[in-house]
Amino acid sequence: MGVFILTELKENNKNKSRLRRRRSGFIILFLAPTMAAFCIFYLYPIITVFITSFCKWDYTNITAPEFFGFADMWNNYDYIFHTYPYFWEALRNSAVWALLGVVLQIPIATAIALALSRKVKGVKIIRNIYIIPNMVSTAAMGIIFLQLYNPSYGIINPVIRIFKKEFTDNILLLKGPAFIAMTAAYIFFTGTTTLMILGNIMAVPEEIREAAMLDGASGLRQDRYVTIPMIKGTLRTVSVLAATSGFLLYNEVYFLTKGAAGTYSISYVIRELAITSPRTQFGRANSVAVVQILAGMIIIAAVNLLYGVSFKKKNNRGGRAS
Amino acid sequence: MSRDKKKTKSVKSISGGTRIFTYICLAWALIVSLVPVVWLGISSLKKDPLARPGFQLPESIYLEGYISTFRDLHVMRYFGNSMLIAGISVLISVVMISMSAYVVARMEFKGKKLVNIMLYSTMFIPATALTYPVYNLINNLHLYDTRAALILIYSCSGIAVSFFVIKNYYDNIPRDLEEAARIDGCGYVQTWVKVIFPIARPGIMTAAVLAFLNNWNEYYWASLVLIDRNKLTVPALLSTFTTSFNTNYNGLFSAMVIIILPPVLLYCIFSKFFIEALSGGAVKG
Repeated sequence: MGVFILTELKENNKNKSRLRRRRSGFIILFLAPTMAAFCIFYLYPIITVFITSFCKWDYTNITAPEFFGFADMWNNYDYIFHTYPYFWEALRNSAVWALLGVVLQIPIATAIALALSRKVKGVKIIRNIYIIPNMVSTAAMGIIFLQLYNPSYGIINPVIRIFKKEFTDNILLLKGPAFIAMTAAYIFFTGTTTLMILGNIMAVPEEIREAAMLDGASGLRQDRYVTIPMIKGTLRTVSVLAATSGFLLYNEVYFLTKGAAGTYSISYVIRELAITSPRTQFGRANSVAVVQILAGMIIIAAVNLLYGVSFKKKNNRGGRAS
Repeated sequence: MSRDKKKTKSVKSISGGTRIFTYICLAWALIVSLVPVVWLGISSLKKDPLARPGFQLPESIYLEGYISTFRDLHVMRYFGNSMLIAGISVLISVVMISMSAYVVARMEFKGKKLVNIMLYSTMFIPATALTYPVYNLINNLHLYDTRAALILIYSCSGIAVSFFVIKNYYDNIPRDLEEAARIDGCGYVQTWVKVIFPIARPGIMTAAVLAFLNNWNEYYWASLVLIDRNKLTVPALLSTFTTSFNTNYNGLFSAMVIIILPPVLLYCIFSKFFIEALSGGAVKG
């Protein structure tokens, strides 16, 4: 009897350990490709970026980055902060675009999503049309806007001339207006964001709306006090996406102004330093990149803070749900 | 059906203010999305856009720009490139990520937190910050100026969004299904392939559509790693437009229309699917 139990236990253990081994095998097998992609595309480049931001590395020593030594290790940062003329302008612009993503783009997207969620005539057609600009690449949109802003055959200058008769300038070359024009070239195209929000609005259970109606909350009041709180999770996600894509703006800068008239962006600075300038400055470009990564983290943390949920809380909730 | 009825009924009672606000929003949406595209269409038919600027209609329809675009520009080749590159990389990344997301969503293991943090962090690591190292890597792998380079980059980038879309979907699938499959003698891999993957298809499709759109429209990397004109994707081709047309505005506008038309047409054909995918299935096209 005792022996029998013992062998059964052994059997059991064997089975268990075999099962456990198969389980770990499965986990490793299924995680490996993504982890490999992560290491190739993120981990290795990030480590390189951080290390070489402390190195002298430019067109004179392309193959051999060279550490400055501990006394001068901040050389690159010193250069971009104090000597490079476009850094602060680029950082300020990118930060403003990130902010506008949250305070302008998301409210517009939400308002349109709410409008589209009401069963008014023609809503479906408008919904379909509204996404069309998002199907067109931002590069193509950049070129279209470049033409719209053209002083001789565009449509912006005639509009300005209604108010200011003698206006013949190219608004993309005027400091101030150029920034606004560039922002206007992308910020109103919220099609995909609107759809994500709309999907979430439609998923709010009908009972909740009806209960709100019974309590006398209808129309905009219902949106404000019932629907929007219900879709807060989605709003936070799309806000993070809007803020980061605003912060990383590149295509619009490249196609509209190439950084003229005070429209540099951080991404544009990196590209210019690292690749397009004839005297490439990899080390300095990478120190801008380090600033970009850190600022990106701060922006995401700020958005999360704005929505009243810290990272930790979110992770915990995710853990419990799964 | 009855749900739809209820909704229409509840909307009839919306007040005047709400109604006006709704119409303003809808009108705004229409204007914003149509003005650039319509203007482009009209301008492409004018012989000399300079002579009749703005929204003035052309005095006669002039199609030379379209003809020369097809004759001289070989646009179809670039669409083929874009399709090939975006398609393959979406396939790779979505399969890869739906595997990993499953493990993270359903299993407990050492280092799960770390995996989560790693994947979440890709959201705030801007691709542009990694410009030079990735560029360098592509060179070292001797992939510079090949389509494979872009496929590699696209497959590896944008992990975070796909990961969270798919993982959220897994989280909503009841666990009983897997247990039932397990009892029926399915192994882990089999359970995933035969049970979970088909159920999670809407979520996976959403991620795939978003990734495809991103890759299709991606310009930054495309303009970095491809030089050979024959291999360019559509967005990368556009950068040559700002210089190569110089004063031939009619040609430029026509080429632009031809370039933006296929995605728009594709969208019109599949709009139902796109809308369902992007809204997580809640909005039926």
